[in-house]
Amino acid sequence: MDVIADRRVTLVLLCIGALALAGVAVSPGHAADTAEVYVVQGLPGKTLDVSIDGESVESGVATAKVVGPFDVEPGSRTVTFADGGDTVLERTVKVTAGSSKDVVIHLPASESAKPTVTEFENDLSSPPKGKATLAVAHTAAVPPADIRVDGKVLFENVANGESLTLVVPAGTYTVDIVPTGKDGPAVLGPLELTVKAGGLDRVFAVGDPAKKTMNVAVHTIATGSSGSDRPDRVDTGSGGQAAGYVGPVGAGLFD
Amino acid sequence: MRVASPSVRASIAVLLAVLVSGLVAGCASGQTADGGTDAPAANEGRPAASTRVTFVPEQVTLPGGDSADVHSASTVDGELVVPEDVDHLGWWDGSASVGEAFGSTVIAGHVDSATGGVGYFARLLSIRKGERVTVRADEHRLTYRVVSVRSVSQDALATTSAAFDQKGEHRLVLITCTGTFRPGRGYDKNLVVIGEPLGLAR
Repeated sequence: MDVIADRRVTLVLLCIGALALAGVAVSPGHAADTAEVYVVQGLPGKTLDVSIDGESVESGVATAKVVGPFDVEPGSRTVTFADGGDTVLERTVKVTAGSSKDVVIHLPASESAKPTVTEFENDLSSPPKGKATLAVAHTAAVPPADIRVDGKVLFENVANGESLTLVVPAGTYTVDIVPTGKDGPAVLGPLELTVKAGGLDRVFAVGDPAKKTMNVAVHTIATGSSGSDRPDRVDTGSGGQAAGYVGPVGAGLFD
Repeated sequence: MRVASPSVRASIAVLLAVLVSGLVAGCASGQTADGGTDAPAANEGRPAASTRVTFVPEQVTLPGGDSADVHSASTVDGELVVPEDVDHLGWWDGSASVGEAFGSTVIAGHVDSATGGVGYFARLLSIRKGERVTVRADEHRLTYRVVSVRSVSQDALATTSAAFDQKGEHRLVLITCTGTFRPGRGYDKNLVVIGEPLGLAR
């Protein structure tokens, strides 16, 4: 009996060990096992077909459209952009289990250079209640620029291939992009952008102002909210020992 | 308790172990299988140099140089529950991180307690406009200049003081109790100290 019991314990331990090793493979839901990829079409004047690892995932994607999410296995994935059967660009993207990425085909800063593909990691952490995470990326054929929100420079000197993230209250904002350090002329906008609480809003500036093809690609990923509600009350004194300090010090102190 | 014989249970365990190791193998092969091309890697998007440093506060230093630890604090039934230890402070977990562009970073603490005596935030009773308060976490810090020191009726704290505002420009808001102490009922007012950031967090 003891022997059997021991053996059972050993087997159970083995099994637990295997489960631990398996980790991701046996966890509930598939979200943590795979990675998600969004594809952003930032090339003006083109309609592109998108494949991942040779498999078509979306056809006829217009400029400034975002498609996905596509669930992919962790590892190195190949994203192919094609125009009428001709490959425009093909790039590999490394993804890990549970990660979320935006893969953007876009113009480089210089008009003379060729289109490129940039990947951005999506930060899916939850902002506090009533707020959203706003990430703005520069993927347009313009030199470094300032991104203004409600007329104030909140994203300063952003270059092609760079992005900036802010936590903002939910609401509607006026966004425009101007050359770094200047008030204008606006490269893009002003345009109205509405962000909802509990999400990551990703905004990509795309196109070429010289050809009047500036545009934005926008997509939102739900993240949920963190933190607790706004308090009605803060009760931070139950002893009365500090009461003596209040009179003399308080006189003339409070404006 | 039910009922499978030890040998049946052992068999089930073996079966599970085999199944799971199969899954492990399956998973491993999935992870190593590449997309099958030697295309160049995509560029990695970079954070711009002007990306703001933001952080959840861990320590506050008031004029005079004394510091206190800050912990996350939640609202329960409408009340912000700060640490019982009068030498510790609570950061409202629904408020802004230090260094954000928008919203108040709200930190509250006891002026005193029946069991703990006079609290760290009793120092707020003598803080003055123009003085500086520094908030830190790890290697990060941001200093604020005090622009307002006001007492408000506890009933009116949430409705009239804008202490909890999350839409306006970034501020540091320090809250404790003041006014008349009523045994068993606490103080009748809150002291609200507001600071404007001196530049960006770093």
